[in-house]
Amino acid sequence: MSAPAPSPLPEELAVPRYLEGEVTAGSLDDQVLAFPERKPPLKWFVAFAFTAALAAAGFGFIGYTIATGIGVWGNNRPVFWAFDIINFVFWVGIGHAGTLISAILFLFRKTWRNAIARFSEAMTIFAVMCAGLFPLIHVGRPWLAFWLFPYPNQRALWTNFRSPLLWDVFAVSTYFSVSLMFWYLGLVPDLASLRERTTHPLRKKIYTVLSLGWRGAASHWVHYEKAYLLLAGLATGLVLSVHSVVSFDFAVSVVPGWHMTIFPPYFVAGAIFAGFAMVVLVLVVVRESMDLQNLITLDHLEVMNKVILGVSCLMAYSYFMEAFTAWYSMNPYLHHIFRQYVSGTYGWAGILTLSCNVLAPQVFWFRRARRSYPVMILVALCVTVGMWFERFVIIVISLHQDFLPSAWHLYKPTPVDFAILLGSFGLFFTLVLLFARILPVIATTEVKAILPGAQPHRHGGGHE
Amino acid sequence: MSDKAFAVLGLFDSPDGLLAAIPRLRALGLGRLEAYTPYPVHGVEKALGLKKSPLAGMVLVMGLVGALSAFLFQFWATGIDYPIVVGGKSPLAWQAYIPIVFEVMVLFATFTAGLGMLLLLNRLPFYGHPVLSSRAIAAVTRDRFALAVEALGEELDVQAARRALEEAGASPVEVVPLPASDGPYSPNALLRGLLAIAASCLAAGLLTYWGIKLMPVLPPMVHMEDQPRVNAQAPSAFFADGHAMRLPAPGTVARGFLPYGPASREEAAALPNPLPRDAAVLALGKARYGTFCAVCHGPLGDGVPTLTAAYGAKPANLQSRTVREYPDGVIFDVITRGKNAMPSYAWALTEEERWAVVHYVRVLERAQNARDEDLK
Repeated sequence: MSAPAPSPLPEELAVPRYLEGEVTAGSLDDQVLAFPERKPPLKWFVAFAFTAALAAAGFGFIGYTIATGIGVWGNNRPVFWAFDIINFVFWVGIGHAGTLISAILFLFRKTWRNAIARFSEAMTIFAVMCAGLFPLIHVGRPWLAFWLFPYPNQRALWTNFRSPLLWDVFAVSTYFSVSLMFWYLGLVPDLASLRERTTHPLRKKIYTVLSLGWRGAASHWVHYEKAYLLLAGLATGLVLSVHSVVSFDFAVSVVPGWHMTIFPPYFVAGAIFAGFAMVVLVLVVVRESMDLQNLITLDHLEVMNKVILGVSCLMAYSYFMEAFTAWYSMNPYLHHIFRQYVSGTYGWAGILTLSCNVLAPQVFWFRRARRSYPVMILVALCVTVGMWFERFVIIVISLHQDFLPSAWHLYKPTPVDFAILLGSFGLFFTLVLLFARILPVIATTEVKAILPGAQPHRHGGGHE
Repeated sequence: MSDKAFAVLGLFDSPDGLLAAIPRLRALGLGRLEAYTPYPVHGVEKALGLKKSPLAGMVLVMGLVGALSAFLFQFWATGIDYPIVVGGKSPLAWQAYIPIVFEVMVLFATFTAGLGMLLLLNRLPFYGHPVLSSRAIAAVTRDRFALAVEALGEELDVQAARRALEEAGASPVEVVPLPASDGPYSPNALLRGLLAIAASCLAAGLLTYWGIKLMPVLPPMVHMEDQPRVNAQAPSAFFADGHAMRLPAPGTVARGFLPYGPASREEAAALPNPLPRDAAVLALGKARYGTFCAVCHGPLGDGVPTLTAAYGAKPANLQSRTVREYPDGVIFDVITRGKNAMPSYAWALTEEERWAVVHYVRVLERAQNARDEDLK
């Protein structure tokens, strides 16, 4: 797609280059790899102080929870799962966009992913870290969380391998390890570039150790590219399985509103939806604050917004199919709970979910909206809020009224619940800010490989 | 640094220049050819005659090993070692193992792909490679392309290699010296590596032991041992007298243990039996009499004990005229305070039970001394 041959297509149909201005391999390094060398601007410190304070407050409230007991949360019968599990599903979902961009789009040879893959992969890792926090503190005694793993013990007991909650443990920990491996593998050649650039002795030492002595030998690239391709294939299967397993936590139970066969694909679509919105949000900020307009172009953001629109339609279909299944089931309990989704005490949450996830992204049918900062930020915020409330609808509304009316109870979150949720956002953005300053935010090696003239001519430019 | 050359290395500005030079230098056969590029340049591996990566096969095998071990482990643990019935299905039902089988398969395959590529196939980390200390490495990791003629064991013909690279268009060309160190696979290096592995195993083991056995019971993580209360007999600084347990207020009387009123037997004689003479009271009296009284006074109250003569004392005959003429209050007083060799039974019988026994004694007496009208 980098071939400069004249295209028979009219200009507006031509495939964009996803680069603005003259970009060479050297200028790319000077632009992207220079960030760790420079002192961050004041606004970075302001943002970092804010997010770090938020994270610290969140951890303070986690400490308060552990010292006092999880009675300080609003969870109570019959709503035993509330903010903790909502936040867990929400953050795991955010992570999925990163794997989709780095792995699935790699398999489809969508070279526009190269510029944004590194950032989304980093976001995957940070989001999974935030996600892992919540089940860990929900167990009440996090220092005994290793009981979740099947290790030989004096109680002579094994974990229950037929429980979706244990599948979750395996799925999420595998997902984290694989994402980390994928991310690190991509970083190694970039770290080698950083190692050769930097003059600061301590940074040079750190980059030297982390880059493992990578020297760009052709005999190494052969194995490297194969490994990257295999990892992409494995991560693709994994990302689909992880959110399916998360959905099993609900679908395998008998709670009306949870016991649905549509849950696995519906959860995966929702995860990608929320994740893309978060990537757009962060990319807009990164693009503007780090002057990366020539590498992360409006064309990138437009493609992302198209994906959001597409997945939004998929979500609309899922919501419709779920409601149809409920109606067609002739099950009065299911009818009741689906009415509660859009009416009753928490009905506003369902209405909010539908308007944020289905209606708001429809503005992206218009090209001008897809290329407008205010619109895309607003829609991305809507989707983030909407996807959080979708999990609220699924978890809290389904639980608060089940088979026995005598057990019905309203759920009310406490300030501690909100503080820990905000703290997780603080943790996420603190890690994102740190990452933006100490590691290459763009996979320079991958972008170099698709620059015009990067591949030998007789091989026919482009990335194969 | 020794004088020996490891390689002669020339830089090219474009991938095309590099690709054009490779066949020319290959034809000369001066040594092993290796290219160093900032990103994978397609076609170089073919031009260099590199073999395809065996990684896919390794990943397939290890993925299957992961899947199989996950399946067998779950099957053994929940089906055989500690059979668990879930959902009314056989402990051997295997279908629910599939998600974990899949996840472990991906985990094994991923780590084989990542670590297998880095550690096994590319022999990294390798911080001492001669090319890393060359002048060209900074350019190679940035935007230039290097072709190196590397020594194949024997001495490298430096002059010929330099000429060949310059003719192929490389600029600049440098000689990369062989480092004086003995390389990463010398016995010393291997020994250091093994020691490092042993040390990390030991450290990991100790850390795990601490994390599983010691850390979970350190304060403040002491489970329910930490309870905000004082034990009844323990000292406590909370109260002025230093006792955790409180004494009852002066004059407190326990339920059913009112102080005994009459001072003498004559006073007691005036006490009336407060209990009615009904079946329940007599049943209670009979039961208590059988337990505590019959052993000495005999089941019929005739003073013929079930004890042997070795006991010595002679229990009273309750059928005697004297006893028959006692008022109820006197019998109650005797049970309460004892008489002659008979000790007090106040510890064993509540007040109510003592009065019930009195009723029962009257029944025994009447049964043994029945009047004519009783027989009608």
